[in-house]
Amino acid sequence: MKKGIVMFAHNNRQIDYVKMAIISAKLAKKNLGVPVSLITDPSTVEWMRESNIFKVASEVFESIIITERPKDENTRVIFDGTEKVASPFKNANRNSVWDLTPYDRTLLIDTDYFVLSNNLNEYWNVDSDILIAESYNDIFGQERTGYLDRHVSETGIKMLWATTVMFTKNENTKVFFDLVEHIRQNYKQFADLFRFNSAIYRNDIAFSVARHIMYGYETDNDYSLPPVLSITDKDHLYDIDNDGNLVIMISPKLDGVYCAAKIGGNDLHVMNKQSILRNSEKLMGLA
Amino acid sequence: MNFGYLIVVSDKETSNYARLAYALALSIKNTQREGYDKVALVINDKSRIESFTSTWVFDHVIEWDKETHWDGRSYMDELTPFDYTVCLDADMLFLRDYSHWVDYFVENCQLYVSNKSFTYRGEPVTNDYYRKCFTANELPNLYSFYTFFVKDSPFAKEFFKLQRAIMKNPIEFSNNFLEKYKPKVVGTDEAFAMAAKILDITDEIAYPLEFPRVVHLKGMIQNWPHPAETVSDHVGFYFDTKGKLKIGNYQQHDIVHYVEKDKVTLETINILEEIAWKKN
Repeated sequence: MKKGIVMFAHNNRQIDYVKMAIISAKLAKKNLGVPVSLITDPSTVEWMRESNIFKVASEVFESIIITERPKDENTRVIFDGTEKVASPFKNANRNSVWDLTPYDRTLLIDTDYFVLSNNLNEYWNVDSDILIAESYNDIFGQERTGYLDRHVSETGIKMLWATTVMFTKNENTKVFFDLVEHIRQNYKQFADLFRFNSAIYRNDIAFSVARHIMYGYETDNDYSLPPVLSITDKDHLYDIDNDGNLVIMISPKLDGVYCAAKIGGNDLHVMNKQSILRNSEKLMGLA
Repeated sequence: MNFGYLIVVSDKETSNYARLAYALALSIKNTQREGYDKVALVINDKSRIESFTSTWVFDHVIEWDKETHWDGRSYMDELTPFDYTVCLDADMLFLRDYSHWVDYFVENCQLYVSNKSFTYRGEPVTNDYYRKCFTANELPNLYSFYTFFVKDSPFAKEFFKLQRAIMKNPIEFSNNFLEKYKPKVVGTDEAFAMAAKILDITDEIAYPLEFPRVVHLKGMIQNWPHPAETVSDHVGFYFDTKGKLKIGNYQQHDIVHYVEKDKVTLETINILEEIAWKKN
């Protein structure tokens, strides 16, 4: 069974997702020892060539899979500490990973997820067709985590985090990803049924709903991937020290007042994308 | 084995406990294995069930009116016609076969009282909004809605005798054992908990088990981020023609203690009756 990692990257004017993907892929290859493939679109590839990173990308990724750029576009406010900007993002084609992955067992991760340990290697042989991160784990503690980080709605189902997803390519997971696509296409209808906010399409919600339906509309205690340890986009990835630890400025109250912390050896979801790009050279050096 | 479920109700013009008991009995007949599906109804007035189409779902109907409202359950050990009994609240529905729980209790217990409940999402109830008295007075967290006992057990008799004394003398027992928080009414749950504490038998009658699993649909204990008077203000109840119940986005498989008495409508009864007729 061939196993590997897959990432999606569709650049926009604000965020260079491909550059983040290269960093994330290098770290994942180093710490998990498996190949990584990239799913992207023609315009992003064109930009990769223009900015001379296509060669690096070709070396890092086992394969660069070019697909149609998703037509649907979400716009969301992203923070860079206290600064904020409205940014479009393309996340509507995650379900296509089932068709596009070159692997039998695939770990799908976000480009802002840094694999800094080999913990995820424990899950390749777990007897479960699909594993999704069971929860969001804020680096500062649960007091910064809201109810809607744990549930899709006040009365609704548990929220899973599609930041990390592992699946085996088979008929069962084909149904799962087809269902994710069905939910995406009928997002407002499912929002009525599951009472979530439909303003922005979220893969976390679509994956959570699909899994809930696949498990017979009940709470299951089946295997899942570990919680996604995260820093918010109101925190900063500030530096990488000489020992390879990430130096983070955490805003405990999300108000621009920070405390410093170091983290190393733990996988980390860095939601402040601009701070990743500011530290891209040093992060490349980590791998 | 002479096992059965016991439902004790006191019905009147302004309530519908007889109908709730009928729905529960139908759901027991529809879901439990033969030998585990006997139902005895204790009711203050037999005429309250005369209009029901399928009173055969009650294997025993016992007319008894010495106590009113829920106080009748205090006499469950004296009223039951079975050697082994599970006494249930009337406002519950069975949704799958739970006979294997009974096998365990018959083999291992003289008396077992539920000590946990679950939300409609399958989470353990941890909120003590309705149980401040239990927390403040360090009472064991007992629920009388599913109580197993052996009829001729001296151990069970002693327990029921004491809880009857508590129900008869609520002020005296409250003053002595509920000093830190006195409930408005000493109900069966409080009486059970006090009796277990006084006799120091909690570890014997309510030790941790994975069952019975009962979904308790009171509004404030559903782990929601907002207050809720009733569950149905916030999520739907969907009872289908196969007798399956979904609450909100969750398919229910455990016993559902629905609390809101108007949830069992004539339509619900008709569905349950039709399933019962087809099965039998």
